[in-house]
Amino acid sequence: MKLYFREVSVAVALVVLLGALAIFAPAFYQPQPLLSLLTREMPTLVVACGAALVIITRQIDISVGSMFSVCSVCAGLLAASGWPLVAVLPASVAIGAVMGVFNGALVAGLGLPSIVVTLATMVTLRQSLNLMRQGEFVNLPDGVQWFGLGQFAGQWTIVGAALLVLAALGLGMRHLAVGRFVYAVGSNAEAARLAGVRPRLVTFLVFVLMGALTGLAAMMNIVQSPQVQPLSGAGLELKVIAAVVVGGVAISGGRGNLWGAFAGLLLLACVSPALTHLRIEAYWEKAIQGAIILLAVVADGVRMRKEKS
Amino acid sequence: MKSKFSRILFLACVLPGLAATLLAADAKLMIAMMPKAKGNAYFLSCKAGADKAARELGVELLFDGPTDTNAAKQNEIVENWITLGVDVIAVAAENKEGISTALRKAQKQGVAVITYDADSLPDARSFFVNQATPEGIGFALMDEAARLCGEEGEFAIITATLTAANQREWQRHIEARLAEKYPRMKLVAVRPCDDLKDRAQSEATALMSANPNLKLLMAICSPGVPGAAEAVKQAGKTGKVKVIGLGLPNENKRYVHEGVTDAVILWNTEDLGYLTVYAGVALANGELKPGATRIEAGSLGSFEIQGDNILLGKPFLFTKENIDRFDF
Amino acid sequence: MNSGESRRPGWKSLLLRYETLLFVVLVAEWLLFYHFGTTTNRRGIVVGFGTMDRQFDILRHSCEIGLLALALTPVIITAGIDLSVASLLGLCAILFGKFHFDAGMPIPIAIALTLACGCTGGALNAALITTLRLPPLIVTLGTYSLFRGLAEAITHGAVTYTGFPSSFLALGQGRLLGLPVQAWVFLGIAAGVWLLVHRTVHGRSYRAIGFSPEGARFAGIPVGRRLATAYVLAGLIVAAAAIIYTARLGQAKADAGMGYELFAITAVVLGGTSIFGGTGSIAGTLLGVAAIAVLKNGLATLPVVIRMNAAEEMSGLMTGALLLVALTGSIVPGLLSKLRARRQPASPTPVQDPA
Repeated sequence: MKLYFREVSVAVALVVLLGALAIFAPAFYQPQPLLSLLTREMPTLVVACGAALVIITRQIDISVGSMFSVCSVCAGLLAASGWPLVAVLPASVAIGAVMGVFNGALVAGLGLPSIVVTLATMVTLRQSLNLMRQGEFVNLPDGVQWFGLGQFAGQWTIVGAALLVLAALGLGMRHLAVGRFVYAVGSNAEAARLAGVRPRLVTFLVFVLMGALTGLAAMMNIVQSPQVQPLSGAGLELKVIAAVVVGGVAISGGRGNLWGAFAGLLLLACVSPALTHLRIEAYWEKAIQGAIILLAVVADGVRMRKEKS
Repeated sequence: MKSKFSRILFLACVLPGLAATLLAADAKLMIAMMPKAKGNAYFLSCKAGADKAARELGVELLFDGPTDTNAAKQNEIVENWITLGVDVIAVAAENKEGISTALRKAQKQGVAVITYDADSLPDARSFFVNQATPEGIGFALMDEAARLCGEEGEFAIITATLTAANQREWQRHIEARLAEKYPRMKLVAVRPCDDLKDRAQSEATALMSANPNLKLLMAICSPGVPGAAEAVKQAGKTGKVKVIGLGLPNENKRYVHEGVTDAVILWNTEDLGYLTVYAGVALANGELKPGATRIEAGSLGSFEIQGDNILLGKPFLFTKENIDRFDF
Repeated sequence: MNSGESRRPGWKSLLLRYETLLFVVLVAEWLLFYHFGTTTNRRGIVVGFGTMDRQFDILRHSCEIGLLALALTPVIITAGIDLSVASLLGLCAILFGKFHFDAGMPIPIAIALTLACGCTGGALNAALITTLRLPPLIVTLGTYSLFRGLAEAITHGAVTYTGFPSSFLALGQGRLLGLPVQAWVFLGIAAGVWLLVHRTVHGRSYRAIGFSPEGARFAGIPVGRRLATAYVLAGLIVAAAAIIYTARLGQAKADAGMGYELFAITAVVLGGTSIFGGTGSIAGTLLGVAAIAVLKNGLATLPVVIRMNAAEEMSGLMTGALLLVALTGSIVPGLLSKLRARRQPASPTPVQDPA
């Protein structure tokens, strides 16, 4: 219990929020809007899984928003030019992976700090996309929405696929050796190296995985509506990092898990609809989210001090 | 010293030659047009009209602006144009006061300055091409909403960001019209979508869920209209919750035909761009002078001028019947 | 890259110093743009990069980024980082408008209060970083959101403060003794920060802390207190930048300064301050700011770029690419020495933490 105190406390906070909504705004609990809300958050969840891994290895990646936009637009353009969906999906993942390779090479290969590298790639990618697209929407052909399965089946497919990714990665982190390596590199890279793990390779692969997951998430996002807006990834990096940090993944690396990230994501994602249902003015949203993040971070800090003393 | 002098001499000979070669191709008039945000589809359609006018008039059109709305960057770009020596500058101002300093500078250098879509301070430009007054837009939206709701019921507004000046003004007039003429209607919420279609979709879903009696969603930013429409469609409430907004025909054709979106209100943004170029060129040529009451603009005919406002006309309603005629 | 130590005085070491190289690059860059960016335009007026007008505009536009970069340099020297500087700028700008308009305070008092608020913002970062020993990255990522969110909440997302008295606007738009007014303010602050970082015991300890916090602690340096002053000072300088920004644009809005942190960080890194901490120089930062300002504005004056309508994208792209190049370049000497060390019987080189 003590081991997972952080994750449990986030889950408790989420339950409290949901409970408050049940009392003050029971209209929140209608099945169809809830399913829509959940489906909208699934791409973010997939990206958050990747981000959790990156942060556990003591790195950070703030270019995910721009990567997401690029993958969305590319996938949209491919679909619009006639590619079948079975080909577009791996293409999107591949494009994301390539961007991940670039980040990974600079961070793991050259040892540059990930914050600055990904800051640079974020801006470069975003401006290049603007140059090319000038903000124009991409119109998708008819069979693309919901993978052609219709809304209900499509939504559950997306939710199912995202949860599958979460489960696979979560269990893999726990039980597979390579999952343990990720924690090892995050805790103490030098010790890991001496123990036979290759920290630079692990770091590199984590960034590549991040890119691939972003491509997958982009795909999950574009099938939810008949148009793609190039700006669609704006703000994603902050959303995802906030979710992961609130969910108990320590920014100093080496600790945290994906279930916590999931709980953190849900908690933060519920703030906006909660404000709408509780009839609180919209301009409080950013401040509330920032406060939740700082609270989580401070709680982490206090706990770390207690552990040290 | 000698080498320095000869270097200067060399530069003095070469540079004008360079400049002449670079610019000799155009004894053409150069008109520079700036949107609030370059990527915004609304302004891109203005550009389409502007391109057409530029071709007809035989002038060169430069179209540049910040990628996201940014008053500081607008100033920088105006400075660049002064440097380049354009003949006309037409700006959609993000910040009234901020842009005016740069525009006054341009005027001092003899550049013809007009504004369109969003005005600067009046002394910094000669004319303002006004697509429709914010009052006209707000009233048109509110009236159409009222008509669709039978003048009673709840509705909600989805706006771009809470800081956007245009949206704030339109909202003010909507609320004024609501208070004045439709006492049985109620505005239950205003939510921002950050100009993101996906976010507008989420907000619309939450709004419909929180307000079961909601009758209408009004999206006053162009990405918000298809976003809200998609949300209504996915919630299975087509027909029960109406959708109207300020948007572009192309993004909304599909929803209008499916009956999800009832009306899209805009002015013809292509015409706006077209008229702006004509006005700018007329100003630079001396054909358009202060105190004029009408202006001719090519194939669009003649337009009224009120004071220093060139009026495009009333907002235009795109509906199922006419939306296919437009391609922007 | 150590500018504080004087190992071998003399011409050669002066020439080989990074800052000198950067200065040469800066001059070359300036001359390049002077040549290609100055023309006689179609109306017969000499315009472009070479005009005094243009140079003053470059100066004006870069004062705010320069102040942010000055605020960041001591922080980065201590191996920290502050991502919240641009957001704090927005918050301070709003507060300044609020003090003057809503609370009716005269301009000088409003300025003083805003500076105090900047210090408070910096103090928040400082408290979380020093007392709770939280990583600066995540703290300032949080305050990056929080400050911007507060700015939006305070103004209800909508209010813009405009209509400042023209005596105030002169601060951002006027000239004093031939230079833009804010340039004097900037130079004053730059001198102050230079003195602090390079000449005071306090400031020199920043480098020690950045190089090894533990070692600094053992050497008797009060690490926590020194770090705190670095962040509080950053907040103070950011507040000054906010006031100048407001004066230049004539408005205070919640989105003031959005995106400036990229340029500020690039300027600092370009100027030779190591992102890993332990070394850095104010002179380098100033040169970095100048280099970026010249690049940005110079690109925009090239007729070909103006015609391509790509001034905005180009400056963003170039800055991002420049940051990558500067970063890669900054570790090349380290890599080279590692390679050299491999060829000799190794004295163990510490593995650098990827974070």
